Amino acid sequence: MIKKQETVLNNMNLARGLCIIAISLVFGITALQYRIGDFSRAGPGLFPLLIGTLLLLIGVLTVVRSRFVEPEPIKHNFKNIALVLLGLCGFAAISQYLNMIAGIIFLVFVVSFGGTNYSVVRNIKITAGLIAVAFMFRNLLGLNLPLY
Amino acid sequence: MDILHNLAFGFETALTMHNLMYCAIGCIVGTLIGMLPGLGPLSTISLLLPLTYSIPTDGSLIMLAGIYYGAQYGDSVSAITMKIPHASSIVACIDGYQMTLNGKTGLALFTAGISSFIGGTVAIVVLSTLAPTLGELAFKFGPADYCALMLFGFLCVSFVTTGSLLNGLAMTLIGVLLGTVGTDVNTGATRFTMDLPFLIDGIGLISIALGCFGIAEVVKNLDSGNQYTPFNGTIKLMPSWPEFKRIIPSALRGSAVGSVLGLLPGGGPTIAQFMAYAIDKRFSKYKHEIGHGAIEGVAGQAAADEAAARTSFIPLMAIGIPENAVMALMMGAFIIKGVQPGPTMIPDHPELFWGLVASMWVGSIFLVVLNVPLVRYWLSIFKIPFNVLFPAILFFCCVGTYSINNSLHDIYITAFFGFCGYLFMRLGLEAAPLMLGFILGPMLEENFRRAMMLGRGSFEAFYTRPISASLLAIVALFVAWQTWAFFRQPRRAAGGVMAMERVAELED
Repeated sequence: MIKKQETVLNNMNLARGLCIIAISLVFGITALQYRIGDFSRAGPGLFPLLIGTLLLLIGVLTVVRSRFVEPEPIKHNFKNIALVLLGLCGFAAISQYLNMIAGIIFLVFVVSFGGTNYSVVRNIKITAGLIAVAFMFRNLLGLNLPLY
Repeated sequence: MDILHNLAFGFETALTMHNLMYCAIGCIVGTLIGMLPGLGPLSTISLLLPLTYSIPTDGSLIMLAGIYYGAQYGDSVSAITMKIPHASSIVACIDGYQMTLNGKTGLALFTAGISSFIGGTVAIVVLSTLAPTLGELAFKFGPADYCALMLFGFLCVSFVTTGSLLNGLAMTLIGVLLGTVGTDVNTGATRFTMDLPFLIDGIGLISIALGCFGIAEVVKNLDSGNQYTPFNGTIKLMPSWPEFKRIIPSALRGSAVGSVLGLLPGGGPTIAQFMAYAIDKRFSKYKHEIGHGAIEGVAGQAAADEAAARTSFIPLMAIGIPENAVMALMMGAFIIKGVQPGPTMIPDHPELFWGLVASMWVGSIFLVVLNVPLVRYWLSIFKIPFNVLFPAILFFCCVGTYSINNSLHDIYITAFFGFCGYLFMRLGLEAAPLMLGFILGPMLEENFRRAMMLGRGSFEAFYTRPISASLLAIVALFVAWQTWAFFRQPRRAAGGVMAMERVAELED
């Protein structure tokens, strides 16, 4: 089992094929639950089912093709994407339950861990700048930001 | 004379104080953002699209077009001065950067600017003569023809942008599937919403665009840990007369190539640049110098780039089918503004169409008189380290997403698509075709269902109508050729950017 996982991570082409197949199955199988109808009177499920089938075919072809080409490893470094996602979701949640200024502080201080170096002073400056920009957006462009 | 009359009418719209301002802001902001590493036209437009929401329709479209060609010019600036390639300016890195190494940065930037102007002007002539004619032709298109045209476009875009038909088609189809999320307009049934109320209206265009092009690009830059050293050389802009004379023929050649390639499905700036560069290398009087910092190596491709960027508006506005991902995004912006691009756009909104055409020319002038002389100041944006820039970009992504519906939920969707975009990138899948599929998906479904309903469930219309039959024949030939290549040389179809780079190396 562990060996298989290793091959997938080390083979971009295979992983790509499997990912495409997974997406096609998610959409295709869900589409089956909707009314399919026939070609002259198409139900809501017909078109997604057709496209899903086509995508499945492409996924299978990609997997087949990955057998013939040199495996390329996937470059994966999940730290940065995780930080950015955490920052964005935290920003949304804090803006919703507290206010957007706190959200901005959270966003800047979390995502800057992904930068090449970390500096609290710089983060404070960035935060101050962004809060100023946010006030400009609200007062000059009329955006309805829940700042406080 | 009709055209002159129409253009004069267009200038009436374009030359109002407000629209001039929007055009100038678009050009400048587009150039500034477009210069940043990793932010090509697609990411620039998606980042700035929310800015245009509160602006009246004509002004916002004029500003968006300004952002687009501003971003194109910004791309070539960073390519020439610092060899930072974007997808749309790979060719500018070759001779442009070589000129910088030879100490001729100013000349290269001036050449790029003035050639863009020439390319833009030629393209506008093409645009204003061809678009109305094509629009009338498009009235003859039936639903089956539209389906065939979209399939043809999918195929071309998939192949051109990714270099691999399989990867590109996969992304297009994923885009089409994402486009089906939400309420089915024909039956009222909700599809793929997972019972989440904010998905009933479908996934927002901005969420996908910002996720796949904004956030994914930022993370890519973070992963690579690149720090660019700002450009510190001197810039002497004005060329000597013999130098100036060398720009013209090459720029005209590039304009012609760009205008034609911009019209074709899947065409557009990138491919036009390569073509113009190759042609200059073969036919220019100074072809032995190209590759070592020749004016022609910059002029031809810059003109082609700009010309193609503008003629690619023709299929969008005349037929209603965008031919590449940037135009798909533009189409999304048009629809948000309540304008449906297509054959009815020119008769229904003449002031919008001709105003946009005229403003493109005004935008060209802005680029030459504003951006080219001021470029040395714009370059100071690189003095801001990326560590400061990226939290700000992420914040703008959030505000952009939020401001559409004043909904914080949309930020989660954007974050989700940021993750998807990152995953796709790591899997070697280009996100651009996804955008095209997402925009065209609902249209494809609508036309497909209509064609099938009219044909009472038979596919006859697809192969009996001349337009759709010939398009589908080309599609079939193309697929057959690719299948043959698939079994012959599986290696050949490696990732698109790599293929592009290889072309660039070969050109060297």
